[in-house]
Amino acid sequence: MAAKEPTSPYRLIGTRIPYIEGPLKVTGRAEYTDDIKRPGQLIARLLRSPWPHARIRSIDVSKARSMPGVAAVLTGEKYPTQFGVLPITHDETAIAVGKVRYIGDIVAAVAAVDERTADLALQAIVVDYEVLPEHADPRTGTEKVVEPIHTRGLNGTNIQKEVVQHFGDVDAAFAGAHATVRVRGTYAGVTHAFTEPMATIAEATPDGRLTVWSATQVPHYLHRALSEVLGIPMHRIRVIKPEVGGGFGGKSDPLPHEIACAALSIETGRPVKILFDREEVFVTNHGRHPTQNDVRIAVDPEGKILAYDIDALIDGGAWSSFGTVTTYYNGVLSMGPYRVPNFRYRGRRVYTSKPPNGAMRAHGGTNIRYSIEVGLDDLAERLHIDPFDLRERNALPPHTMTVNQFRITSTSFVKCLHAARERSGWDSKFRQLPYGKGVGLGCGFYISGSNSPIHFTPKMPQCTVHLKVDMDGGISVHCMQADIGQGSNTLLAVIVAEVLGVDLDRVHVQRVDSDVSPVDMGSYSSRVTFMMGNAARQAAESLRDQLVRAAARVTGYPPEKLEVGHEKISVRHRPDVSVTYVEALHAAMERSGALLATGAYTSPPMGGDFKGARAGTAPAYSFAAYVAQVDVDVETGIYRVEKVWAAFDCGRALNRLAVEGQIEGSIHMGLGQFMGEAMMYRGARLMNPSLLEYKIPMPQQMPDVECLLVGDDDPEGPFGGKEAGEGPLIATLPAAGNALYDAIGVRFHDLPVTPEKVVRGMEQRRQSGRTWKGVA
Amino acid sequence: MHLDPFELHRPTTVDETVDLAGRLAPDVDYLAGGTDLLPNYKMHLNVRANLIALEDVSELRGISLDRVGAMVRLADLEADAAFAASFPGVVAAAREVATPLVRASGTLGGNLLVETRCFFFNQSLPWRESLGYCLKADGDRCHVVPQKVKCYATFSGDIAPALAVVDAEVEVAGPSGRRRLPVSRLYDPVGDGIHRHKLAAGELIVAVHFPPESRGLKATYRKLRIRPSFDFPELGVAVAARQDAGGRISRLALSLGGLETYPRRFDDLTEPMVGTVPTPATVRALADEVQKRVRPVHNTFLAPEYRKKMAGVFVRRATAEVLGVPESSP
Repeated sequence: MAAKEPTSPYRLIGTRIPYIEGPLKVTGRAEYTDDIKRPGQLIARLLRSPWPHARIRSIDVSKARSMPGVAAVLTGEKYPTQFGVLPITHDETAIAVGKVRYIGDIVAAVAAVDERTADLALQAIVVDYEVLPEHADPRTGTEKVVEPIHTRGLNGTNIQKEVVQHFGDVDAAFAGAHATVRVRGTYAGVTHAFTEPMATIAEATPDGRLTVWSATQVPHYLHRALSEVLGIPMHRIRVIKPEVGGGFGGKSDPLPHEIACAALSIETGRPVKILFDREEVFVTNHGRHPTQNDVRIAVDPEGKILAYDIDALIDGGAWSSFGTVTTYYNGVLSMGPYRVPNFRYRGRRVYTSKPPNGAMRAHGGTNIRYSIEVGLDDLAERLHIDPFDLRERNALPPHTMTVNQFRITSTSFVKCLHAARERSGWDSKFRQLPYGKGVGLGCGFYISGSNSPIHFTPKMPQCTVHLKVDMDGGISVHCMQADIGQGSNTLLAVIVAEVLGVDLDRVHVQRVDSDVSPVDMGSYSSRVTFMMGNAARQAAESLRDQLVRAAARVTGYPPEKLEVGHEKISVRHRPDVSVTYVEALHAAMERSGALLATGAYTSPPMGGDFKGARAGTAPAYSFAAYVAQVDVDVETGIYRVEKVWAAFDCGRALNRLAVEGQIEGSIHMGLGQFMGEAMMYRGARLMNPSLLEYKIPMPQQMPDVECLLVGDDDPEGPFGGKEAGEGPLIATLPAAGNALYDAIGVRFHDLPVTPEKVVRGMEQRRQSGRTWKGVA
Repeated sequence: MHLDPFELHRPTTVDETVDLAGRLAPDVDYLAGGTDLLPNYKMHLNVRANLIALEDVSELRGISLDRVGAMVRLADLEADAAFAASFPGVVAAAREVATPLVRASGTLGGNLLVETRCFFFNQSLPWRESLGYCLKADGDRCHVVPQKVKCYATFSGDIAPALAVVDAEVEVAGPSGRRRLPVSRLYDPVGDGIHRHKLAAGELIVAVHFPPESRGLKATYRKLRIRPSFDFPELGVAVAARQDAGGRISRLALSLGGLETYPRRFDDLTEPMVGTVPTPATVRALADEVQKRVRPVHNTFLAPEYRKKMAGVFVRRATAEVLGVPESSP
């Protein structure tokens, strides 16, 4: 059930608008990468390493190359240029050069007439490996090791990145604290498990161009990586993003197979398609990092936070990926939604001989948040303060600066707390439900768009939107933003239609195509609504001004006396005098022909001047307060999250239907990490690379969700909006964890919380002689 | 991941089917619903060059209170109200199999002969190759219990335990004619673990037969798994019983699947309870003893210690439910 919907000053913004591409998707007509078939297309398959860490002594591809139907076999040395999503940590190659670094690392690529021929060719490739010591455990990688995974590790260790930050005086704060808590959290890695496997088609053509269709959420960075590794100037490469069946961060790195696929097309002169099977999706991973954190919190007698002291050990897997950002985020994303006057952080991300970890929905903000929120819950109990009261006392007020110089503008966090408390019936439930039932509060905070684009080119905007309208009255929208199912195409259309006053079906959002789409940085860091939204609004306003000027000529009234209505422009206070949208358009076209307009967004300067100061800076932040209610079978440990009251501050909800969908999906994904999803390793070997053994919650496990959208307008967000794609995940996990504590009196610091851990937790509590709600 | 080409044969009678299997042996498998076999083929697990589709063999169809054909789809079985009224435990188990989509294809016979499962077996060819394969496919060692030369893959069908407790029999056709054997003896408790059942080469389950005296037994099936659908059992407990008006047990059977290499009955524990009026204490004693005996190994998602403990809880709950005994928590 949705919260009561506020009245909106807008015609479309703030209402519930189904995705414009929805009818095509649900009828199977939407075109995904694998739906595209190019004439003469070959199929590529990849030979993957059976070893977690080994030197490649030699590769003999002669037999594979001579097999009928095999068009090309490629090994690593032809394209040795290293790449990676962050310019400062290029450590990947399209195909392994010299060494393999995890089970599944790409050793060779084959293009053949069909999948089976390609698979058989892979089996005919003979690789001579010198097996090297595997480094599966990040703890041992912090010391000097024999044969580190990469030469760029810190001082002969496997440490990829170390971050040390200290603001204020943490030791003094702890020395003077009234109470402290320490949480040592252990988090299994989780993966995105999007529906559509990775898929790429590359077509090198005789005109010297290369076209790449790929299931990517960041077409622009793929464009750059293809150019860098293949040595082809960007203007000769064309990147097209068809519909994408989910990304959640897993399609935000430029990935080796995309480059290998392109290389095979160059090699053969034919179109080459690659489509992953599910196991390949799992080993390509780039999911949430397995993490161990050690979090200490100091508070005064009123429960006001004095200091955080945080250490995080992050299991990176084989590549850097987004890891430098991850290492910062695991510390700095603790800087909201509370005021924290003293803060110390050490984060280390360690390479391991395992599938690479990277960015996953609510990247870097999820695991640290869980440790903090269960720690605060513990402190509240010990200080006899209600968990809601404790959080409200610590809430960051609007328009403040954090100790690490995050610029906080809008926050409706306190409104979130009030809404969740009231709607959940908290005051009559907390510690009052029978043994086995409980409620818990968890809060969240996330960036609404990274202020620093990954490839920052000074004076160029982070997003540009182009509009074109011709005599038919349809408006084409061009932008390289990547709709991966989150509704950004719909939002683009809604914003344009809102500003121009036209019906939504006049607006045609064009497929992302680097030949025609102006650059947007892509779908990551929850940046699209904020940045694309502002660019789209600016472009639409520019087009609107052209129409209004034309209407002024037609009506004889000056532009400032005119206003845009539904499909018309009329004279303010003279509604009888108006021109239709199409009349205004045709008048505007008299001199120029089709109209063009452009809009762009560049985030304002922000952040301190210390090392790493830009990490976590954002033009706005989202806030959340969730209450979860659980029901535990106290004998089997099987539990159900029955309901989540999700109070979320995304500023103004621009498309309420999409926001609610994002919140529900986020809760599902967050509960997955909490309840059972885990990349299960024995040593460096992934044991469960399948959707059967990777335990995404089933529909029956999904709680009833009540979305409480209470955000006030953000001063800089488009129409007051902020992100709602990632932040809604974070609060889910601690709300469930704290609810379990309320139900059975056991704190869980080791995720996922499987039924066997619940049973063991209750046994340990019993053995310690502690009763809960009167039960032994 | 590609499926290797195979020859598909489509016989229409049982005799023809058995003949065909005899001629093609040993490079042949029967194909029922395909929901277990074909994914395994995609992983290149014990692939055969010939598949005999059972779809067109009409004798394998039909649901009555005496007999259910081996090719009856689980979705059809669970939708049959008359059958459910007589054999509630069997239908309860059928409803717990996988997902509605799988049950639309999956068959009764297929579920009885579902391949045993293990973390080291149900993996792709490259995955297994990188580990050097295992006893059950292409290799010579067990990665779960390395010191043994026995396979510990887990029996993962849901319906066999529920059939066993109502004394159902399978009708088998083969090169040497037809025979019947109790469901509980379809599986091999002492073998190498690799071959999960006692059917001879070329033998085929035609139907499952239900003795009239088993109709209307009180019965249940309880399944342990981390998610309430899709997952194979980490433990499955079937109980069936009859009691007189005074509550005295006249019949009681218990079978556990999902724990060991075969579904196991515990007649030596349940038979002494016949003639008694059950109490929470006797039900608890039964459950404790079962828990003591079962030996799960670490080859599924949940840890064996937990599954063992849950065997006690699930047996107690299922038995208490069927016998109408109030449940007592420990």
